[in-house]
Order: sequence, then structure tokens, then C-alpha cells
Amino acid sequence: MSDPGDAAVASESDAATLDEAEAGAPERSERAGPNAADADATGTESDAAESAGDAAERAGDAAESAGDAAERAGDAAERASETPTDRERRREVATDRWLGIAGAALALVGLGVLVRQPSLVLSGAVGVGYAVYARAGDAPTPTLSVTRSVSDEAPAPGDEVRVTVRAENVGETALPDLRLVDGVPPGLAVVDGPARVATALRPGTAVTFEYTVRAARGDHEWEPLTAVTRDAAGARERTTVLDAPTAIACTPELSAGGDLPLRGLTTVHHGRVPTDVGGAGVEFHATREYRRGDPLKRIDWNRRARTGELSTVELREERSATVVLLVDARESAYVAADPDAETAVEASVAAAGQAFSALLDGGDRVGIAALSPLDCWLPPGSGTVHAARGRETLATDPALAPTPSDERFYRSLWLRRFRRRLPADAQVLFFTPLVDDTAATLARRIDAHGHLVTVLSPDSTTTETAGQRLTTFERRQRLRSLRSAGIRALEWGDDSFPVAVAAATRRWSR
Amino acid sequence: MSGEGSGSKVAGDDSAGGATGDRSRAATSDDALVDFHETDARPPTVAVVASLAAAGAAATAALVASPTGGALLGVAALGFLAGSLRSSTRVLGWGAAVGVVGLALAGYRGAPAEALLVAAVGLAVAWDVADHGVGLGEQVGRGARVRRNVAVHAGASLLVGALAAALVYGVSLAVGGGQPVAALALLLAGGIALISALR
Repeated sequence: MSDPGDAAVASESDAATLDEAEAGAPERSERAGPNAADADATGTESDAAESAGDAAERAGDAAESAGDAAERAGDAAERASETPTDRERRREVATDRWLGIAGAALALVGLGVLVRQPSLVLSGAVGVGYAVYARAGDAPTPTLSVTRSVSDEAPAPGDEVRVTVRAENVGETALPDLRLVDGVPPGLAVVDGPARVATALRPGTAVTFEYTVRAARGDHEWEPLTAVTRDAAGARERTTVLDAPTAIACTPELSAGGDLPLRGLTTVHHGRVPTDVGGAGVEFHATREYRRGDPLKRIDWNRRARTGELSTVELREERSATVVLLVDARESAYVAADPDAETAVEASVAAAGQAFSALLDGGDRVGIAALSPLDCWLPPGSGTVHAARGRETLATDPALAPTPSDERFYRSLWLRRFRRRLPADAQVLFFTPLVDDTAATLARRIDAHGHLVTVLSPDSTTTETAGQRLTTFERRQRLRSLRSAGIRALEWGDDSFPVAVAAATRRWSR
Repeated sequence: MSGEGSGSKVAGDDSAGGATGDRSRAATSDDALVDFHETDARPPTVAVVASLAAAGAAATAALVASPTGGALLGVAALGFLAGSLRSSTRVLGWGAAVGVVGLALAGYRGAPAEALLVAAVGLAVAWDVADHGVGLGEQVGRGARVRRNVAVHAGASLLVGALAAALVYGVSLAVGGGQPVAALALLLAGGIALISALR
């Protein structure tokens, strides 16, 4: 149970040593560093920070950096130190649990007087005792030192991360009734053990509880720990939040996707997208009359033999494209087929990641944008640095977070900004679950502005109830109208994205 | 308050919400106390068991003195069980009320002071622990570690009851059995006035 905590402390003190070395007071701060680490390692209860401070003092006149060192050592030795975590009092309420106890007690006493039974008066007096008990206490404000450690700060998606929370009562008062609720980030699901505990803490004692979360794509920051304290009788309740910052970053690898068919809007540069322009290439495009200067190997010799005329074979030119991957991350796009399934945004981002690497490998310039109230724009580019940046954007951009943002989405403002940024020769791969008309309308408008749009739609509809069937029908209708408007649309559900692409590509004409 | 823990959030708007479960919206609820759907909001077992034990003791004590009063206290114990199972503080309150009526009845039938005091303390502890358990269930859930918390709470409650009972029993013995009941009640009133003046 204590292992993860120890490990965390050890690594923190290592980090402190490193920082000091960088801070540039080499000898002295190094001397302060190991001392601090020793003090921590020996596990002296409360004076680790103090002895670290002593060490820093001994280090002499490099006052600033040594002071820093002492502070950091104090951080590292937070387990044993007496530093209370920052807290914010939220509210204190009366629980009204004991409401009526005095009434019941007095009723018993009164009845006892009436029927002349002293035993009733005595039992009523016990009730009065409880009434006094209920009024006596006051909910204490907890003074806790909270440390939270995670088993892995950079997990892969789907990994289970063990979280250990330790709260020590470093205040003067005993906490007869303490309930702790950890602020698990909204994007993470707790898979083992509730992130809560209820206990009672004397001064100087600590409680440790553990739980496991499943990592999901994105940056996740823990919200403050909520502490609910009551007095012994439970008549008053106080809520306090304790700030213990922890964060994990979960960045998925971009898996290589299959070949993604692009539409005919290309740049002038050579690439892999076949165009309708005749010239040098691989695939037959047309024949035309021979003109002087045409290369000999492109002369159609069969025709020359048959008719005696010289003609030249034109091949499709292959050019590169500029592609912007647009991911629908409005609140309405955070839908899933069932409460535990991954949302359409997750599916979209995963597919966009595959498309991103596939297109970059094909020599196209790829950018990323989000249809979201938050701004997210990675201009089209190529190269390994751009690939890394794209991976980062898809994994951790707040606009593509695993949970929707609270801000309002303004469609026309967004469209104006998007069009201003979009290069003239860019085509758009639009990842959207198509659960409302806005997405379909936007696809048509972007297409109308000359940026050829391909809609790629994860299917998160189900058909159990009548309402669900209606939604399925509406979405299918939207797809149909998009296709009839000349916009390519592809949907994938249970089968993987590359499979759906391969299946759809066979039907598409250029 | 009882529905707070496990509110099933229905995705609010139009047809999109109808077809699709929306876990993320439920998860972004800003009250940190209600956002876990994996929490079982029933009261912890240890609290239910402790409550039933105390209620059983109370019923037994009353049964010795007066069968009817004991039966009513047994009904109160059932009420505590039902309230715990349904996570309803209101049912617990009704159970406690039935228990008080049982006490009154047992006292009216002339139950001895010792049995009645044990029954009263047992009833108070049983209700207190059951109600505490319901609150714990709402805030931390059944799966969390609560044993120490419940033990401290039940212990404190029992201690207070025992002290109060010992005090009043000692006083009644000291002043002697021959005093009229009204004198006892006046003594009690004087005690209350003294305590409230001291606070």
C-alpha cells in the first residue's frame, strides 16, 4: 500500500536534486540535496523538512539556491511534513438529523408526569441528553495534508492507473467524521474501488485509500479533493475542498491507417492523388494528336501501325493534396451507442489520427481543425516535426478533449474563421457523427466554397427504441442528402475505419 | 436528498439525445459528490448491521418489561431495516416514531426504569447509526471503506446514551424512590435550564 507513495516521494526528491544542479550552485546545493534525500529516506516523522532546512543552512552563503533546495526537499518530504494542503471552505449546513428529538423526549417526560411513571421521565431524560449532544458540537474545519500519487503519469490509452491518496490530519482538532471524495478528472473512468473513503482521524493520524482509473486520451488534471466533516453527533456538516494537484497525460500513438482516397482538389506539387490532368503518370488518361516534342515512349505505336497517324498517350498526373482534418467536437457530437461505449468524438479522433499518418506518409500536407467552441487549428504541413505536432494536437488539445467544454458554439463565427484560415487548395475530411443538421449544413457550405469535402461519419446510433430508430433514420437521411449533393460520405460502425474506407473506396468514382 | 446520488441523467435535447447514451454530460456535473455512476449509494452493511443489533437489544429489553411495547420496538427495528434498504431517512424517522410510542406504551404499562433506559438508548443508537449509514451511502457509497467512521459514530452515540442514562438513573436513586414524579420532572427541567445557561 505504501510502495507507490514511497516511489513517488523518491522520484520527487530526485527531481529536486536535478533541479538544483541546474540551478547552478553545484557543490553546496548538491550537499543539500543528498542530505534532504537522506532525511526523507530515514523516514523521520515530522522534521524531515527541518533537517533539510538545517542542511541548507549549513550550506552557507548560497542562500537563495539553498533556500530553494530546502523548499523542494520540504515538498519531497511532504509525507512526513506538517504542511497542510491549501483549502477552501465551501459551506457549513445543519443536517437537521436530530430534529424532533427534544420534542419526543419532552413528550415522554410529560406522559410520565401524567401517568405517574418515573421510568418514563427517566427515559425522556435520556432523550434530552441526546438533544444536548446534538447541539453541543460544531463541524470542524479539517486541516489535512493531502498527497496523491499515480502509478504512471504518462499511460497509454486503456492502461489502468493506480491512484493512491493519503490524507493526514495535521491540525489540532480530531475529526470524528471525515468523508473524502477525490476529484477524479471527468474524462477518466474509475474501474476499481470508489475514489472515496469515510473515516475518523485523530490529530497526527492518516488515512490512505486507493482506486484505479482507466486512462483515456488527453491531458487529465485532478480536481480538488472534497472533504466533508461532521461533528460527532452529525448535526452540522462542513464541506471543504483541498487542492492537491495531480495530472496525467495520455498520448496515443498514431496508428498507420490504410490508403485514404482523396478528392480531386490538389496542389501543383507532385504527389499521389491522381488528377484529371493529362501528362506524365502511371494510369491511362486519354490520347491526343501528336505534337512536336512529345516523348517517343508516349507515342501510341499500335495506333500508328493501324492507321498511320501519330498520336500521344496522356497519363493521369499525380499530385499532392492539402488536406484539413476537421473533427466535430461540439457538445452534440459527444454521443455513444451506450453509456460505456466510446463517444463519437473518440472514434473521430482515432480515425483522424489514422488519416493523419496515412496522408503524411503519402506526401500530402495535412492540417487539423476542430468544430468546437474552443479554438483548435494546426495549419497544413508535412515532415516529422509536423507529425509530432499533429499527434500532440489530436491527443491533448482541449477542443478535442474526451468531455465536452461548457462554452457556446457559434456556427457562423466559426465558419468565417475557418474559411479565413483554410488554404485555397485545401480539401476537407470532415469527421462527424452527423447527429444534427448543423454538421450536414456545414459540410455542404464548406463544399460550396470550393473546398471539396469528404464526410467520414462514425455510426453511434442504435435501434432499440422508437426514438433511437428515428435518430438512425434521420442520420441516414442526412447521409443520403449529402451524397446526392455530390459530397462523398463514408460511415463506419462496428468495423474498423480502414476496413470501411477500403469497402467504400471500391464504389467511389473520382 | 435521497435521489441525488444515482440520478440517471438523460441527454437533454432533441432526437440526438434520445438515441444515444451520454456519459460525458453526466460526468461533467460540477457537484463533486454526485458524479460517480459506479458508486453504490446504498448504506454500508456495517452500519445496517450495527443499527439492527442496537434495535434488537432495545426490543429485547422492552419485551422483558412489556410485550406490546417490545413488539412496537420490533416494528421500529423492521422500519430501520426497510429505511436502510431503501436509503430513505423518512422511513427511518417513522421507525423511530413507532419506537418512541413503544417506549411510551411500555412505560405506561409500568416497565421498570432499567429496562426502559436500555430500550431508549438502544432505540436512539439504532436510529442514529441507520441514519448515519444512509448519509454515508449517499456521500461515499457502499463500496468505500467506512468501518472506522461507523464505529466511531456508533461508539460516540452509545457513550452519550449510556452517560445520560447512568446520570439520570444515579440521580433518581440518589433522591430516593419515594419522591413524586413531578419532582423528577422539575429536577430534569432544572438540569436543562442549568445546561442551557452554561452554554
